Amino acid sequence: MSNICGIRFQDKISDWKDAIRQVAQPLLEKGCIQESYIDAMIQNVIENGNYIIIMPGFAMPHARPEFGALGNGMSVLKVKEPVMFPGDQEVTVLVSFSGVNPEEHLEMISKLTDVLMDDELVDKLFSASTESEVLEVIA
Amino acid sequence: MKKKLRARLQAFGGFLTAMVIPNMGAFIAWGFITALFIDTGWLPNKNFAELVAPISKFILPILLGYTGGKLVHGDRGGVIGVMATAGMIVGSDIPMFLGAMIMGPFSAWVLKKFDQLIDGRIPTGFEMVINNFSLGIIGCILTLLSYSLVRPVVVGANDLISSAVQMIVNTGYLPLLPILNEPAKVLFLNNVIDQGIYYPLGMQDALEHGKSLFFMLASNPGPGLGLLLAFTIFGKGSAKETAPGAIIIHFFGGIHEIYFPYVLMKPITLLGMIGGAMSGIITFQFFGAGLVAGPSPGSIFAYLALTPKGKFIGVMAGVLVAAAVSFVINSFFLKVSKAPAESDEFQKQQEASKAMKQEGKDLLQGAMTEKKNDKAEAVKATEISFIVFACDAGLGSSAMGANAFRKRLEKEGITKEVKNFAIEKVPQNADVIVTHESLYDRSLKANPGKRTITIQNFMRDPNLDMLLNEIKESSAGGEK
Repeated sequence: MSNICGIRFQDKISDWKDAIRQVAQPLLEKGCIQESYIDAMIQNVIENGNYIIIMPGFAMPHARPEFGALGNGMSVLKVKEPVMFPGDQEVTVLVSFSGVNPEEHLEMISKLTDVLMDDELVDKLFSASTESEVLEVIA
Repeated sequence: MKKKLRARLQAFGGFLTAMVIPNMGAFIAWGFITALFIDTGWLPNKNFAELVAPISKFILPILLGYTGGKLVHGDRGGVIGVMATAGMIVGSDIPMFLGAMIMGPFSAWVLKKFDQLIDGRIPTGFEMVINNFSLGIIGCILTLLSYSLVRPVVVGANDLISSAVQMIVNTGYLPLLPILNEPAKVLFLNNVIDQGIYYPLGMQDALEHGKSLFFMLASNPGPGLGLLLAFTIFGKGSAKETAPGAIIIHFFGGIHEIYFPYVLMKPITLLGMIGGAMSGIITFQFFGAGLVAGPSPGSIFAYLALTPKGKFIGVMAGVLVAAAVSFVINSFFLKVSKAPAESDEFQKQQEASKAMKQEGKDLLQGAMTEKKNDKAEAVKATEISFIVFACDAGLGSSAMGANAFRKRLEKEGITKEVKNFAIEKVPQNADVIVTHESLYDRSLKANPGKRTITIQNFMRDPNLDMLLNEIKESSAGGEK
């Protein structure tokens, strides 16, 4: 997949807000989002609930593009010890993204969907512990 | 007991903040227009200046009333909040900010209670009619009520403040005045006090002595500067971010109104404002300072321009002392209130997620029973041809969900229209909406009467399997 801004690994993050901040960091560094986009992602969960957990253990923090998306990008954060999200949901894989170009965005969504529909790939993604292992699944 | 009261006060403060913050932009826009285009502004313009009064009299209070109502009861609350606020505004000479902040949420609360009362008792097909007419009728009554009962109370309170101010002036103990000035100011009654009481007194005084302290009693830009600096350094969120810009409009542009929302969202800062203004007045008295005319607007430049020769130090000292005192007191309040406010938010979140969970369970059961009905009535299932996945923005989670579901259908050799939308933009011809359980309320409000399936995750939820099965069965049946 194109526009992968960063893949990171952490042993433990105690706060889900912190997890969102960390997964968004590569997007911020690569200029895909403004600081405000991160706050919007957190606010989104506070206001709208944990619907960004699109399958057990997998959260997809994002916000509306008008809250500070500057380019199309995606970043991955894996946390060894599950992070507690509101509603007592445990999350170990976070994929954050920002999209301004609809076509590229849809392509990314479609590819990511293929990954998450494939049990084998999902297992690989959840057990991956290096950048190249993650890239193998999602690239 | 004590704890409960504190939590309540905090929740109340949070509510005020939530009512004011979304409208900060409008206050700032109005501040710019005022600072630039009024007679004494930077670029006086008669036509643009006509915007100033209607925006502060109508638009800003209505925005507060709308937001307050919306917080209590969604879009319906916002709409009825506007109606009730209109009842306050029309026919009164003073800006109705206090009124809007009371009647907006109150009217929404009344409507909410009514909606809860009739919830589940509306015959299918009549939702729209009943919803519109209940809002219409309750809105009508509340608007009339706020015009004839609440408005006079607020106007009366205003008169009371004016006469109390007059009384203190008569005793001659001027440093006490901020106790009345500051609360009145943040309710946008500053012009009433300044131009109604202080400036006429000031003019008499200035005729005799060449300068007057009365001009400076409520127009000192120092306390506001201190407050905004405190927010700039110790505030949080958008209040912190907007404060520096507000300083420019307030201190250099002389539009004090720009800092009022900051006080309204944290009323305890009134103490800092009073303290700052008091020490300002005492300093002015100590130096025997005064201005030659009423500064309007009360910017630092107007102050300096109206300072008589030789009184520069006294005037500046009064402004700076006021700013410093207000800064110190307000910083203290912002700092101590920070920690509990956050834990309060956290607590609310926890409660919300608990409620969400229970709701989710209830809904799940509801969905199951609904499913049974569908089976009994297979005809209904064949009608599904357009499935909508909905979430907040309609870009991320619902897009993934729609994508995945479409692919699953394709695998079964079924082609159906599966699309993703923001909840509020779901097309009318959708046959079924799939949304997350935490968004169910919102979806129901936006799409009343639509069959809605709730899920706990957009990719792999058992309810999605059930929907898939249902479509599979019905399309097999349809081919036969």
